[in-house]
Amino acid sequence: MNTKLYAVIYVVLFVFATLQVAVEFAGLTYWTAFWLIMALSAIKAVLVAAYFQHLRYEPRAITYVVAIGVVAAIALTAAASYSITGT
Amino acid sequence: MSSIKRWFVTTNHKDVGILYLVTSLFFLIFGGLLALLIRVQLLQPGGTILADAAYNQTVSAHGLLMVFWFLSPLAFGFANYVVPLQIGAKDLAFPRLNALSYWLYLFSGLLLGISFFQGGTFSGGWTMYAPLNVPIYMPSIGATTTVLALLMFTASVTVGGVNFLTTIHRMRAPGLTLRRMPLFTWTILLTVWMMLFAFAALLAALMILSSDRIFGTVYFAATDSGGSVLWAHLFWFFGHPEVYIVFFPALGVMAEIFQTFTGRRIVGRKWFIASMVLVAIQSFMVWMHHMFLTSINLPVKTLFMATTIGISLPFDLMVFALIYTTIKGKIRFKTPFLFAFGALVLFILGGITGVFLGAVVLDYEFRGTYWVVAHFHYVMVGGVTGLVGGIYYWYPKITGKMYDEFLGKVHFALYFVGFNLVYFPMFLAWETPRRVFDYPEAFTPWHQLATVGAFVLGASFLVMFYNLYASLVTGEDAAPDPWRYVTTAEWAVPSPPPLENYPGRPSYDGGALQFLEEAGPRPSGIAAADGGAGTRTDGGVAATADGALAGGHDHEESHASIWPFGLSLAGFFLLVGLSGVNTGGTAYVALTVAGFALGAYTLVGMARESQTFHGPSGPFGESWPFAKVENMKLGMWFFLASDVVLFGAFIGSYVFIRVAFGWGAWEPVPHDPVPGLMNTYILLTSSFAVVMAMVAAQKGSRNGVVASLLVTILLGIGFLGNKGIEWLELFHEGLWLSTNVQTSTFFLTTGLHAAHVIVGLFIALYMLVRAWGGAYLDDDKPVEYFGLYWHFVDIVWLFLFPLFYIL
Repeated sequence: MNTKLYAVIYVVLFVFATLQVAVEFAGLTYWTAFWLIMALSAIKAVLVAAYFQHLRYEPRAITYVVAIGVVAAIALTAAASYSITGT
Repeated sequence: MSSIKRWFVTTNHKDVGILYLVTSLFFLIFGGLLALLIRVQLLQPGGTILADAAYNQTVSAHGLLMVFWFLSPLAFGFANYVVPLQIGAKDLAFPRLNALSYWLYLFSGLLLGISFFQGGTFSGGWTMYAPLNVPIYMPSIGATTTVLALLMFTASVTVGGVNFLTTIHRMRAPGLTLRRMPLFTWTILLTVWMMLFAFAALLAALMILSSDRIFGTVYFAATDSGGSVLWAHLFWFFGHPEVYIVFFPALGVMAEIFQTFTGRRIVGRKWFIASMVLVAIQSFMVWMHHMFLTSINLPVKTLFMATTIGISLPFDLMVFALIYTTIKGKIRFKTPFLFAFGALVLFILGGITGVFLGAVVLDYEFRGTYWVVAHFHYVMVGGVTGLVGGIYYWYPKITGKMYDEFLGKVHFALYFVGFNLVYFPMFLAWETPRRVFDYPEAFTPWHQLATVGAFVLGASFLVMFYNLYASLVTGEDAAPDPWRYVTTAEWAVPSPPPLENYPGRPSYDGGALQFLEEAGPRPSGIAAADGGAGTRTDGGVAATADGALAGGHDHEESHASIWPFGLSLAGFFLLVGLSGVNTGGTAYVALTVAGFALGAYTLVGMARESQTFHGPSGPFGESWPFAKVENMKLGMWFFLASDVVLFGAFIGSYVFIRVAFGWGAWEPVPHDPVPGLMNTYILLTSSFAVVMAMVAAQKGSRNGVVASLLVTILLGIGFLGNKGIEWLELFHEGLWLSTNVQTSTFFLTTGLHAAHVIVGLFIALYMLVRAWGGAYLDDDKPVEYFGLYWHFVDIVWLFLFPLFYIL
C-alpha cells in the first residue's frame, strides 16, 4: 500500500473534522446539524477503520466481529433511551 | 521444577484447568456456607442468628460468589482442560494470557474475601441496584472493594474470552469443521462470544460505579430514571446473557454425557446447535424483562415480553432433543448420567416457572418474591447439577483414577432430594418477600423444610469431596476411555493426558480421528496411535485441508511464566489500595502506588519475555472464518470489539442520562469546541504517524520507525497536555467530576479515553526503545498491532469530540 493513499485519507479526515465545527456555526436547525455532524464522524470512523486499520484488506469476518460490537452498543443506547420516553 | 513452584508459573491449559476447578470448588464452599447461614436465619420469621446488616451482606456475597466465582469458573476449568483436547490443539492460543485469566480470577476472589474486613462487604444484593450502590447509602470501604473485585473478575473474563475465541476459531485439527465440532466445545464457543460483548457492558457499569464510589462522579446518585434505570439497563444488558453464559457450558456437559451414556449421537444435532446459536443472539434482546417494575414505558415492556417468549422456543427444541436422545438410545445409569439427567429435569422446572415471570402482568405480582428466588435457583443450580455431572465424567480423564460409583450415586440421591427440598417449598411459599428475613407465620413450616433441604444438599457435597479425595489416593487406574461409546477426542489419549496432549498431529481428515507423524526434526512422532476407532465426530465425510499437513511444528511450546501471577498480584495491590484511597489512609495510598509500580514492572517483564516464550504456532487445520489472519491479530480484534462495547456503553450512558435530563436543556461542559478540535487534529496526525511507522518498518528503515514512533509519542503527550489545560480551566471555574451529572459524564468518558491514550503511550515508548535497537525491521507485526489499538482510540475520539464539545 502506498504512502500517498494514506496521506490523502489523512487530509480528508482533517477536512471533515473542520467541517464538523463549521456545520455547528452554519445556522442549521439543531437536529439537521446533529445528524450531519454524526454522519461526518461515522464517515471518518469508517475511513480510519478501512484504511489505517486496513480492514478493507482483511477477511470480511473481522469487519463483522467489530460490526457486531457496534450494533450491540447502538441497540443498548437506542433501546434504553427509548424505554424512558413517553412515560 | 519443584511441585509447588510449578503451579505458580504454569501456562499449560490442563494445569490451568485444574487450578480453575479446585479454586471454583473452594468458592462453592465459601458461597455454600453463606447459603447455610441464610437458611438458618430463615428458620423463623424475623431471623435467628444474623444481625440485619450481616444478613444483607450474606445474601449479597452468596449471590456474587456463586454466580461469578463458582459457576462460570467451574465451567471454565472444564473448558480449559477439555476444549484444546477436543479440537486437537496443544494449548490455547495465548498460554500466558490463560494463566493471567486464572490469577486475575483467584485474586479477584481474594479481594471479595478482604471486603468483609473493611467495614463490611457489599450489602445491596448481587444485582447491585442503584441508587443503593452509591456511597451515601452504602459507605463501607468493603463495598467499594467488592465492586473492584468484580471489576477484576471482568478483566479475567475478557482476557479468557479473547483467548478461547481465538483458539476455537483458529486452532482446530484438520477436518474438524464447525459442523463436526463436539457439543461441549460448541457451548464454550457460544459462551465466550456472549461473554465478549456482555462482560464489556458490565465492565462499563462497574467502572462507572467505581468512579461514583471513589472519584465522586454522580451517575447513579440520581433517584429518577437517570440514575437507577441506567444501572438496571447496563446491568441487565450484561445480566441476561450472563444467565446463558453460566448455563451453556452445563448444557454442553449434559449433551456430551447424554451421548456417551445413551450410546447415541444427539437427536437433531444440527438443530440443537442452531438453537443454541439463536439463543446466544436472542439473549441480547430480552434484558428489559428484568425491569418490568421500573419506570420504563409500556410499549417497550410489551416488546420485551414478546422477545422473551421468543427465546423460550429454541430451548424447547433443545430439551426435546435431549429427551428424545434418551428414548432412541440405551441408557447406562452411571453417576455422570444421573446428574446430567437430573439437571434436565430441574432445568425444565426452572424454565416453566420462568415463563410466568416473563409475562408483564404476572411479573407485577411475582416480582420481588420467592417465586423469583426459586425460579432462578432451579435454572442456575440446575446448571450446577449438569456441571457436577461433568466433574464425575471427566474425573478419570483428569486424575487417571476412577471415582467410587456407589458413593457417586449416594451423592446424587442426597443432592437431588436436598435440592428439591430446599427450592421447591419456595414455590409454595412464594409470597415470601425476597431479600429480607421476615415472612408471614404461615410459611414457617415451608421455610424450615427448605433449611433442612439446604443442609442435605450441603452434606451431599461432603460425600463428593470424600469420594474425589479418597479415589485420588486409592482409586483404580482409569483407562484412556473408561466409558466406551465416547465420541470426543479427549478419550483417545491416556488418562491423564501427557503434557503435549497427542502422540503426533491429530487429524480428522480421514473421517475419524488419527494421529499423523510429526513433521520436522522432533523424534517423538508416533504414527496412527491406538484409540482412533471410537472417536468419530459426527461421522461426516472427510474434508480436506490442503497444505495444513505440509508444515509442522519445529519448536517446543513453552509452559512456564511467572509474569501472569506477578501482574495479577500487582492488580490485587492496586485495587486494595484504590478501594480506600479517597480516605487518604497511608496504607491505601502506598498500596495504590506499589500496585502501579509492580504492574508496570511485570508488564515490561511479560513483554520482554514474549521474544522467548513460544505458544502454539501454526499451521493449524480448520480456522473458519479466520483462516487468513494470524492468532495475535485476531486476538487484538476480538479485544477491540469488546472495547467497542465498553465505550459504546459509556456513550450510551451519556445519551441515556441526557435523554432523561432533557436533551435540549443540556449544555456541553466545555464552552468552546476549539480545544477539542485541536485535539482531533493532533490525534488524527498521530494516527498518520503510526501508519508511517509501519510503512517505514516494511521498508526496513530504522530511522523511519524511530522518527515516526517519536512523533506519535510527542503528539500523544500534546493531546494529554491540551486536555490537561482544558480540565484545569474547568476546575478553576468550579466544574469538576462531582459538580453535576453533565460534568460527571464529560470528565469520566473523556477520562476513560485519556486513559486509553496513556496506555498507548506506554506501549509506544516501549516500542520506541526496541525500535532504537533495530527491532521490527524484519517483522513489522507489533507495529501493526499497536496501530490497530491506536487507531481505535482515535476513532473513539471522533465520536466523543462532537458529542461532548459541539452538540
